[in-house]
Amino acid sequence: MSVLEIDHLNKSYGTLRALKDLTFDVHGGEIFGFVGSNGAGKTTAMRIMLGVLAADSGKVRWDGAELDLEARRTVGYMPEERGLYPKMKVGEQLHFLAGLHGMSPGEAHEAVERWTDRLGVGPRRGDHVQKLSLGNQQRVQLAAALVHNPKVLVLDEPFSGLDPVAVDVMSGVLRERADAGVPVIFSSHQLDLVERLCDRVGIIQSGQIKALGTIDELRTTDAQLWVLDVDADHAAVTEAIGSLPGVTVSANADNARAVTVLAEPSAPPGVDQQVLRRALELGAVREFSPVRPHLVDLFRGVVSADTEAHEAKEVAR
Amino acid sequence: MTAHPVWMVARREIKTRMLTKANIISMAVMLLVIVVGAVVLNFFIDQEDEAPTSAIALGQETTALSPHLESAAAQQGVELTLSTIADDDAAAALEAEGEDALDAFVSGDPASPDMLVAEQPDSNALGLVDSAVRSYVITEHIGQLGGDPAAFAEAMAAAAPQVASLETPGEGMEGPAYGISMIAITLLLIALISSGSMIAMGVVEEKTSRVVEILLATIKPAQLLAGKILGVGVYGLFQLAVLGGALVAALTALGLTEDIEVDVGGTLVLLIVWFLLGYAIFALLFGGFAALVSRQEEIGSVTTPLMFLLLTPFYATMFIVPNDPDGATVRVLSQIPIFSPFMMPVRNAFGGVTGLEMALAMGIALATIPMLVWVAGRVYQRGVLHTGGRMKLSTALKG
Repeated sequence: MSVLEIDHLNKSYGTLRALKDLTFDVHGGEIFGFVGSNGAGKTTAMRIMLGVLAADSGKVRWDGAELDLEARRTVGYMPEERGLYPKMKVGEQLHFLAGLHGMSPGEAHEAVERWTDRLGVGPRRGDHVQKLSLGNQQRVQLAAALVHNPKVLVLDEPFSGLDPVAVDVMSGVLRERADAGVPVIFSSHQLDLVERLCDRVGIIQSGQIKALGTIDELRTTDAQLWVLDVDADHAAVTEAIGSLPGVTVSANADNARAVTVLAEPSAPPGVDQQVLRRALELGAVREFSPVRPHLVDLFRGVVSADTEAHEAKEVAR
Repeated sequence: MTAHPVWMVARREIKTRMLTKANIISMAVMLLVIVVGAVVLNFFIDQEDEAPTSAIALGQETTALSPHLESAAAQQGVELTLSTIADDDAAAALEAEGEDALDAFVSGDPASPDMLVAEQPDSNALGLVDSAVRSYVITEHIGQLGGDPAAFAEAMAAAAPQVASLETPGEGMEGPAYGISMIAITLLLIALISSGSMIAMGVVEEKTSRVVEILLATIKPAQLLAGKILGVGVYGLFQLAVLGGALVAALTALGLTEDIEVDVGGTLVLLIVWFLLGYAIFALLFGGFAALVSRQEEIGSVTTPLMFLLLTPFYATMFIVPNDPDGATVRVLSQIPIFSPFMMPVRNAFGGVTGLEMALAMGIALATIPMLVWVAGRVYQRGVLHTGGRMKLSTALKG
């Protein structure tokens, strides 16, 4: 099975370290979501993968061999900053790009027709790119990344600016490519989409991978988490339940009447029953259910932990 | 087997420049101007070409003028129709229209004849009669004085100074090779200015539209730049060939090129070689420098210094080389790649360049090109992803 390995990439812009030993890999047939806040290093990492930027150190490997220019011609790339020749016809432009990626004119012609039709811009093949709406330009941009039947897909924010229909088409295409054995890596801020679509996710912060794994792995934590809704005063609940060993109570973001109960891994077994018993003593229990964190929560956790650490460092200085 | 990326980039440049509506229209308009100009010019030339005609009739007593009129007509290049008519028919013949129209009727004493015309005297007829009468009077007087009119005429014809100069004029300034080499470097300058700015605009267009990131993910920056330079070069040559060809064809059709003799030998080949070398060197500079800026409005800040870099060797060649084609300054300057494409063809026209010098200059220029490709490619690669203000050259070149 083919693997795209990102191995200890380092990159600095002057004094700013954009990437710090960034390491992860993407397997063939897998959709990898690359998530991180603005300026975390996603675009830099992707540009290095495509050879548009040179890394200070580290390697990008494809099937064990370094991803050189020849191999990069088989990669489909959608840069964060969209770019096409504005005064060139859609069809001609895609044909030109397909040729640059090593397709013969015949193959290119067929591929251009297929992908423009598939992405719903077939009737616009004869129009100049600048005449298209932004959303349609985005579709052409995706066609440009797919037209040469790439063996690897690297897409920087492919979903930004797309309408829901286009998002569905795009998701379908990514899944189809992955099923064909292509490793697909894309970055996005639409975390619900990433959660739905990706097989694995990497959360990057300050140029480092902070969390990596399948959605299930990431969501499974050693600590247990519940939502608890009791007919009682918040202060009373916090006092009664928070006194259990290894258990903390906090306000619930989604439901003002409920609280979130967190049991540390060190809490004794059967702690859930103890929590429930104490809750019943306080009043009628409306809801008591385990919660698994969403990607958004994980992401917030990673970012806030980092920010706190950063602030702590600042204070220490 | 697919085409080489450099050629694919070049083909795109040619295609997108050649097939735009604006280009097709402007080329068509220019061709039309040349054709219309040739036709109009042809019309005027034809008018001038036709020998002026004059129809003069003599009275019975004035026929002694006829040999003098004929020789005057031959001298002045006028086609003369001479006739003798009776005085009574003169008025009718003068007022006649068309082919038989008479310009003048000359009668009376040949030494001071009466000249009758319809309205205004025709300048050709007047000139002819004037010369004929003078010549008649001179001949008569020489005859009366006992001289030989024929010998006199011969002596008059030979009366001109024989000019001799101490120094034989060199081929120098006046030689056709000099003229042609000056035309060639002027063409080189014009070609460089127009295609240089075309390349600069193309580079910045790719930067502004950000398409360059996709391109650089597929091909090397040097390949992209080389393709662009090749494409713009071919397009420029095509324009030059179409318009220049139309012009030459028009001039040939008018018979205006018969007097120009071009030595289609080594000189022309040399001119073409230097033209291509000069284009490659400056095109690379334009392409590399343009990558430093991000917006069309900023192009001026990088092309202005390059324009100076272009005009310096051009004017240096124009003013220094003709005065001292083999001096030390010229010898040194003509080895420097920026100067050599301008200086060498002109120096060659003066005939003072050794084969070794020429070969050395070409070698240096050729060796500069891969170096410039590397530098321009490097600046390009760093410059193209840099957006915002102008990037410093040193930043682009560094590590």
